Amino acid sequence: MAATKTKSIKGGEFLIKETAAADIFIPEQWNDEQLMLKKTCEDFLNQEVYPYLDRIDSLEEGLMSSIVEKAGGLGILAMNVPEEYGGLDLDFVTGMLTSEVMGAGHSAAVAIMAHTGIGTLPILYYGNEEQKKKYIPKLASGEWKGSYCLTEPNAGSDANSGKTKATLSADGKHYILNGQKMWITNAGFADVYTVFAKIDDDKKLSAFIVERGYEGLVLNTEEKKMGIKGSSTRQIFFNDCKVPVENLLSERENGFKIALNILNIGRIKLGGAAIGAAKAIIQHSIKYANEREQFGRAISKYGAIRYKLAEQAIKTYASESALYRASQNIDDAVNSLVEGGLEFAEAKLKGIEQFAVECAILKVHGSETLDYVADEGVQIYGGMGYSAEAPMERSYRDARINRIFEGTNEINRLLIVDLILKRAMKGELDLMGPAQAVAQELTSVPDFGGLGNNNLFDYEKEQIKKLKKAILLVAGAAVQKLMQTLTKEEEIVMNIADMAIEVYVAESTLLRVEKVVDTFGEQAAGEKIDIARVYLSEATDNIWKSGKDALNSFVDGDELRMMLMGLKRYTKQEPLNIKEARQRIALKLINENKYDF
Amino acid sequence: MKILVPISQVPDTTAKISFINNDTTFNNAGVTFIINPYDEWYALVRALELKEAGKAEKVTVIHVGPTENEPTIRKALAIGADDAVRIDGDGDSSFVAGQIADYAQKNDYSLILLGKETISYNSAATAGLVAGFLDWNFVPYATKLDVNGNTISLEQEMDGGVNQLSSPLPLVVSAAKGMALQRIPNMRGIMAARTKPLQVVTPSTDFPVYTKVESYTPAKGRTACVMISEDNIDELVDLLHTKAKVI
Amino acid sequence: MSVLVYIEPHKGNIKKTSLEAVSYANKLAELISSNVTALAINISDEGLKAIANAGADKILSVNNESLSATNIKALAEVVNSAIKEENATTIIFAADGTGSSVAPYVAAKQKAGIIAGTIDFPIIDGNKLIVQKNVFSGKATALYSVDTAIKIITLTPNSIQISNTKRSPNVISFAPTFDAANGVVLKSFKIDEDIAKGGIPLADAELVVSGGRGLKGPENWGIVEDLAHALGAATACSRPVADADWRPHHEHVGQTGLAIRPNLYIAIGISGAIQHLAGVNGSKTIVVINNDPEAPFFKNADYGILGDAFKVVPKLTEAIKKLRI
Repeated sequence: MAATKTKSIKGGEFLIKETAAADIFIPEQWNDEQLMLKKTCEDFLNQEVYPYLDRIDSLEEGLMSSIVEKAGGLGILAMNVPEEYGGLDLDFVTGMLTSEVMGAGHSAAVAIMAHTGIGTLPILYYGNEEQKKKYIPKLASGEWKGSYCLTEPNAGSDANSGKTKATLSADGKHYILNGQKMWITNAGFADVYTVFAKIDDDKKLSAFIVERGYEGLVLNTEEKKMGIKGSSTRQIFFNDCKVPVENLLSERENGFKIALNILNIGRIKLGGAAIGAAKAIIQHSIKYANEREQFGRAISKYGAIRYKLAEQAIKTYASESALYRASQNIDDAVNSLVEGGLEFAEAKLKGIEQFAVECAILKVHGSETLDYVADEGVQIYGGMGYSAEAPMERSYRDARINRIFEGTNEINRLLIVDLILKRAMKGELDLMGPAQAVAQELTSVPDFGGLGNNNLFDYEKEQIKKLKKAILLVAGAAVQKLMQTLTKEEEIVMNIADMAIEVYVAESTLLRVEKVVDTFGEQAAGEKIDIARVYLSEATDNIWKSGKDALNSFVDGDELRMMLMGLKRYTKQEPLNIKEARQRIALKLINENKYDF
Repeated sequence: MKILVPISQVPDTTAKISFINNDTTFNNAGVTFIINPYDEWYALVRALELKEAGKAEKVTVIHVGPTENEPTIRKALAIGADDAVRIDGDGDSSFVAGQIADYAQKNDYSLILLGKETISYNSAATAGLVAGFLDWNFVPYATKLDVNGNTISLEQEMDGGVNQLSSPLPLVVSAAKGMALQRIPNMRGIMAARTKPLQVVTPSTDFPVYTKVESYTPAKGRTACVMISEDNIDELVDLLHTKAKVI
Repeated sequence: MSVLVYIEPHKGNIKKTSLEAVSYANKLAELISSNVTALAINISDEGLKAIANAGADKILSVNNESLSATNIKALAEVVNSAIKEENATTIIFAADGTGSSVAPYVAAKQKAGIIAGTIDFPIIDGNKLIVQKNVFSGKATALYSVDTAIKIITLTPNSIQISNTKRSPNVISFAPTFDAANGVVLKSFKIDEDIAKGGIPLADAELVVSGGRGLKGPENWGIVEDLAHALGAATACSRPVADADWRPHHEHVGQTGLAIRPNLYIAIGISGAIQHLAGVNGSKTIVVINNDPEAPFFKNADYGILGDAFKVVPKLTEAIKKLRI
C-alpha cells in the first residue's frame, strides 16, 4: 500500500517536538485501492446492516452471526491478519479506514470490532504456531466468532483484581476454570473466547483459549442495555470448565500484559469507529436540516442550526486528523521494528505500545466527539430526534457506550498523564528540560517581536508552540509541587490530560490542513482552513481553562499570579470571526447536502 | 467460450447533475463516478457466475474511455473480471459500440453481455449497435441467461409476460434487472485487481462519431404541490378528472 | 427520399406507441417536405387503418409468420430492405418493444447516426436534425444533432399526441428476404398472472399506482391493487419493496428498475429518493400519499395528501369508483 513514509516521532513527543506537515498522513491522500476497500465496507453496511437495524436490535436468533459471516466473506474480518493465516495483511492505516467505516454500523459495528479486535488479536499476537493455525484462519473468515472475557462483576477498570481461578487437573491435561465474567461482547454466538483467570494463587492473570463446546461454560441471558441492543452481551459462568493445557495463551501470568496491549489497539480502533459513526450522523443531520422547514424556510438556513452542523464537522474532522496521524506513526514504528529484526506480532505490539498515549487520546477524543455529534444530531432533528422512528434516537443511545468500554474515558485520561510521566521518569521523553525552559521564560521579559506572517499558518503554528508551553508550565508545576501525590489528585490529572488531548488534536488538524494546502492549493483546502482555525481557537480557550483550574488548585500567592499571567500569555489569541468561519463551514455542508471534508 | 462485458462509467445515482461551458459540458466537479449499474450488477455479475459454474473460460471487461476512467475499470477487476481492455478514445454510442464490436471480433469473444442502458445517456442503443456491427444475434432486456453447450437460453420480460428464448452463439445480450444480484467487491478481489492485466488499445478508425450533444438543460422541477386534505378526497378526484384530465 | 416508420409486430394488433411514431414521422415529413412510409410487420387490416389515420402516405405491409418479435436480427434485415426500397433517409421507431432494439441494429448496418428516446419534434437545420432527449435518468434534457445521410430516431412513449389525418395510403405488400436460420427462437411465452387476470403491463400503462416501504409489508398490498383495479391502472413499487421480495422485480420503477412516463402516477408510502424520482419524473401528473410531511416526494408532486395510506387509499378507491359509474 502506498504509504507516505514519515519521519519517526516517538509516542508523547508531540508535547515537546514540532512535526512537519509533510510528515503526517492525511485522509485526503487515500489511493484508489483504499477507496475501493472503503466502498466495500459502505456497501456492506448499506446492504447487510442498515435494512435490518430493528431486527438486529431485537437480537433475532442467528442474525448477527450471519452478518459477521457475511463480513467475513467480503474479507472485512481479515484486514490485519497476515496472509499465512488467511488474512490480507493490510497496513494499520488502511485497516483503520475500514474500522472507521464499519464504525457506523451500530450494534453490528460493535460485534465486528470485538471479533476482529479483542476476539482475534490475543491469539494472533500471543498464540503459538499451533494455536494460530487452528484458530486464526477460521476467525479471519468469520466461520468462527471471537469473544474476550476480562471484566468481572467486581473487576472492571481494575481488571487484574479478577477472581476467576484456573487450577491444573490431577492428570495435568486440563486447567479447570471457575468464576464469572461480565459484559462479554459477542458472548451469545461466539465460538472462541479468550478468558483471563489467575492460576492458583498467582498475582497476575493468565489467558486461556476457551471453545464454546467445552464442558462447564454456561451463558447467562442477554443483558438489557441502553444502546447497542443488538450486540450480544452476557455474563459467562465457568463451572469447572475444562480447558486443555495446550490452550494456555502465552505464558503463565502473562495475561495482564496481553489484556493491556490488546486494549491499546482497541482504543485507537474505537477512536476510528467513533469517527465513522459521527460522519454518518452528520450526514443525516445535514439532510434533515435541508429538508425540514419551519417558518417557511429550511432549518439549515438558521444560524443556530448552522452552528451545530459546523461544530459537528469541525470536531469530527479534527479527531480524524489526529487518528490517521497516529495510525501512520504506528505503521512507521512497526515497519522500522520489523526492519530491525523483530518478528511480526512483537513488532506490531511494540509499535502500538510506543503510541499508547496517542491511542488513549484518540479513544477519549473520538468517543466524546461522537457523543457531541449525536447529541446535537438529536437536537437538529428536534421532536423527531426523540422519536424511535428516526435514526437519531438509536445513534444517540448507541454512541454512549464508547465513553465506557475499552477503559472508561476517566481511566484513559489518567493513563495519558501516567504514561507521559513514566516516560519522562525513564528518560524516554525529555519533558523536564523544556519544562524548566518554560519556567525560566516566565520570569523573563516577554518577547513582543511580531510574527513574520509570510506563510498562511505562521500565526497558528506559533500558537501551537505556545499551547505546548502552557501544558509544560502546568504539568511541570504539578510534578514539582505535588510530586508523588500528583497521581492521586485526579482532578488535576484530568486537567492536564485535557490540555494534552486538545493540543494533540489541534496540532494534528493544523498539520493536516497545512499539508492539504501544500499539496492541493489553498483554494482546494477551502473551508478546511476555517476548520483548523476554529478548532485551534476553541482548543486555546479550553487549554486556558483547564490550566487555570489546575494552577488555582495547587499554587497560591504571587507564584500563582505569575503562573496565571504566563498561562494567559501562552493562550492569548488574535481576534477571529469565529461566527463567519462556522457559517462558511456549515454552508459547504448544506450546499453539498453531505459531509465531504 | 469467452465473455466480453462492456462497461460504461456514469455519475453516481445520487450525483447532482449540472453543466458548465454554457450548458454544453457535464460538470464533473465533485461527482463520484461508478460503473453503470446495469453493466455491473447484472451483466458482469452474471458473466462471473457463469465462469464460476465452469460455463465460461474467461470474463473480460472492456471500456471505451480516457485514462482517468481506469479506477472504474479496476473496480470491475476487483469484482472478479479476469482482465480488462481500455479502448483509448471517446465518442457517441456508435463509436463506442464499433470499438467493442471490433475488439470482440478480433479476439474471439462469442458472448457479449452488457447492461440494457446507461443511467447517464439512457439510450439503450449500444448493445443493438454492437450486434448490428457484428451481424450477430441479439437478445435485449434479458432477465435470465444460462449456457448449455453452444446454446444460450434466456428469459425476457415483455408484453406483460416472460419470453423464454434460445439462441446459438455468437450472441449479444443486454441485461435487465433480475439477471443477477449486485455483488460487493471482496477485499481480496480488490487487492488482486492491482495485478490483473489492463490492456490499452488504440481505437479503430472504422467507426466515426455521428451525433453530438449541442446543449443540456437541467430538468425543471414541478411547480408547487397542491396539498389536499385527507378528508377531501373527492376534491383530488375532481382535479385529476377536470384539471389534469388524466382520469 | 422518405421518412420510414417502423411498426412492430404485436400479435396482429397495433400499439399506441407505434401510432405515436407514425404521427411523429408525419410531422417530420411535413418539416422536410417528404412523405411517410410505414413498414407494418404482421399488422391486421384494422391496424393498417389506424396507421393511415395517424398520418402514413404509404404502407409497406409485411406478412410473414416466421418474422418473430424476438428475432431482432431478422427484423433489422426487413427494415434495411425497406430503407433501400423507399430510399428512406430518416427512420422513426417507437422506443419500446422491439423498436428500441431494432433501431440501433439497423443504425450499425446503415452507418446512420442514432438518437434514441426523443421526447419532442425535431428542429431542422439544413441537413442536420436537432433532437431533444432525456438524459441522466430524467434529471436533464439534451439537444443532440445528427447529420449523417441516414438518420435514425426512436421516440419515447407518451411524448406526443397521435395525429388524426385520415389519409388513404397505398398499401403495398412487401416480402423482403431475410435469414431466419440460426436466429433467436421463442420457446414459450408465459403471461404474468396479474396480466392474465386483466391487469395492465406496467411499461404500457397510462395510469400507475405504486407502493413503497410505508405500506409496512406485502400483506397490505390489497389497498394498492384495489385502487389500481378501480382506475384500470398497473401496479408498481419502489426498490426496497422489490429487494425485500414484497413485490416482483418487474414492478420496480426507478433509476435501476423500469423508467415509466404514465399520465398519472400515484405514489403511496414512497418517500421519493432521487433514484426513484429518476424513474417516474416523466409522468404527466404525480399524486403522493404519505404520512411524513418531510417526504421529499411532496416537492416533486402535483398533488399531495398528508395522511395515513391505510385510511386515505380506500377512500380514494371509493371516490374513483363513484366517478367511473
